[in-house]
Amino acid sequence: MAGINSLFKTKILLKPNTFSAIVQNGMAIFPSYYIEPIYKKEDQEALKKSGEISEYVHMPTKAALNSQTCSVSYDPILSLFTNYLMRKGQKELARNLVERSLEQVKRIQLERYHKCNSDEERAKIELNPKIIFHRAVENGKPLLQLMPVKRGGVKYQVPVPISEYKARFLSMNWLIEAGREKDRTKVRFWTQLARELVDASNNTGKVVRRKQELHKQCEANKAYAHYRWS
Amino acid sequence: MLNVTAKLLLRSTFHKSIQIRLVAATAEAHHEQILQSFRTPVTNPTEHNSDHLARLYSIPKEDKTVLFQHGGLPKIFATHIKTFNETCLMVREPALDIINCLKTIDYNKPVVRFVLYGQKGTGKSLSLAHIIHYAYLNDYLIVHVPWVGNWMRRPKDNSNSETKQGFMDLNIDAAAWLLHFKTQNAKLLKNPDLKISREIHWTKRETTPKDSTLTELIEHGINRIRFASNCINILAEEIKLLSCAGLCKTLVAIDGFNAFFYPKTRVFADRREIVPPNRITLTEGFLNLTKFDWKNAAVVVTVDELVIAAEDQTSHLPRYLLGKTGFEHLDPFIPVEVTGFSKKEHQSIMDYFRERKWIQPYQGIDEELYFLSNGNPFYLLDLVKSY
Repeated sequence: MAGINSLFKTKILLKPNTFSAIVQNGMAIFPSYYIEPIYKKEDQEALKKSGEISEYVHMPTKAALNSQTCSVSYDPILSLFTNYLMRKGQKELARNLVERSLEQVKRIQLERYHKCNSDEERAKIELNPKIIFHRAVENGKPLLQLMPVKRGGVKYQVPVPISEYKARFLSMNWLIEAGREKDRTKVRFWTQLARELVDASNNTGKVVRRKQELHKQCEANKAYAHYRWS
Repeated sequence: MLNVTAKLLLRSTFHKSIQIRLVAATAEAHHEQILQSFRTPVTNPTEHNSDHLARLYSIPKEDKTVLFQHGGLPKIFATHIKTFNETCLMVREPALDIINCLKTIDYNKPVVRFVLYGQKGTGKSLSLAHIIHYAYLNDYLIVHVPWVGNWMRRPKDNSNSETKQGFMDLNIDAAAWLLHFKTQNAKLLKNPDLKISREIHWTKRETTPKDSTLTELIEHGINRIRFASNCINILAEEIKLLSCAGLCKTLVAIDGFNAFFYPKTRVFADRREIVPPNRITLTEGFLNLTKFDWKNAAVVVTVDELVIAAEDQTSHLPRYLLGKTGFEHLDPFIPVEVTGFSKKEHQSIMDYFRERKWIQPYQGIDEELYFLSNGNPFYLLDLVKSY
């Protein structure tokens, strides 16, 4: 018993607030003055050519992430989408899901491609899944959002402008939620996500409707707009 | 002059991504050289030779529906057929070697056994498909088992055998196979010379008389599912007799042959006891067909790691996969290794993907993917998913 007590005592001694001298930058490993890494070979070459590289040489730089590569297939926005999709740190699963849905996008588009009769129709069909993905994200971005503001004990939903970052997040998150809305047993997530991606790239589908609904609400609450500053 | 115009035409059409086959007529000689070095117009495997190595040929639609209607092509490949709108196989060395051997061997000698082996995903099943296509066009009687694992690892049903004590029947699978056999050999089975040698008593009332055709025997197996397993064994015997008599030339092609010797099946007897393959009725017939005691036939089997349990997949070599009994059963055989893609094969498959619009023309992608896939065709298919 005495042994256990002494163990507890040592634990108390090792509480983190006893070492409060170290100031952390949130959860980040690197301090805030570290710059982002330049991991693409082409970017490095460009810096070398222009001579700007000398400015970066002695700057403290963060290590590149595991997923950041200079492969031709690497796409930073797709990588961000993968991270948004990830649950419980299962990155491999998330990446697999994204890849599979891009595969399905290709299959959907190729099926249409082979059904076409004339070359003009064929030329219209986009077969690059990444371009379709980018278009889908772009089409799903809202312009405004609603923010609750308390005035006189009542909460008003006030339309406010939205940052680029938040708009992209909402668009991607809606895509993911739309992918989850399906028959649980019969349809796979990647199939549904692929359908949603193709729909959103054509400016139709659940995600675009959701964006439009948000816009409609913002329009309806136009009268509260001044609560943002008064 | 014609060459120049052809070149111009091709160049412009390539940019507009028009289907290349449309202009093929105008520039036959050139399109072969410039754009389609990865494709060969020769669709008959009999005419394939080393000039066609690493090129793709397309299986005509009618042949494909006859041969692979009830399985025989790997699952992912089957989905790609739909997406690519055609069935293309690459002419590769292992299949070509075996086809050349099939052309030259003496059919009066005991049967020659070929064993295709190789790492997972290197193309054993598709090599087998190529050989089967050759056999189909050269009027072989094809005894093709698409995947033995379907019987040993995930049987549709099982029941105790009525004729043999302690044996298990897989009747639904057996009937499905009989249908597969019937569709594959529909052309040959019309031959009235293919008769059975003896009277067969199924029960007291049901008999198949002597000298009835093979089709009647197969029909009986399909209609009376209870006798399907037995029917296959009898069919195997009859095929052997007919081949020895010189009435037909037979090709036995079995995918995942080592499953017949792997003791841990998923077929269970009454008290959840595992039934080993040598106590399953179907096994007997196919082991009978792979013996060397008959002639006028050839046997091509594949041994595959995927057909056995995951924990035992430690080597892809035939001696390990077949075990002692299996190895002795097949001995002597000709082992044919199926390896991954060579540089040239990789290049032609990438060109094919690009022509089918499956991947985007990024720069330097070919080298990167060859490096990542390590030349393994299956890994490559998996990697190009999102390109």
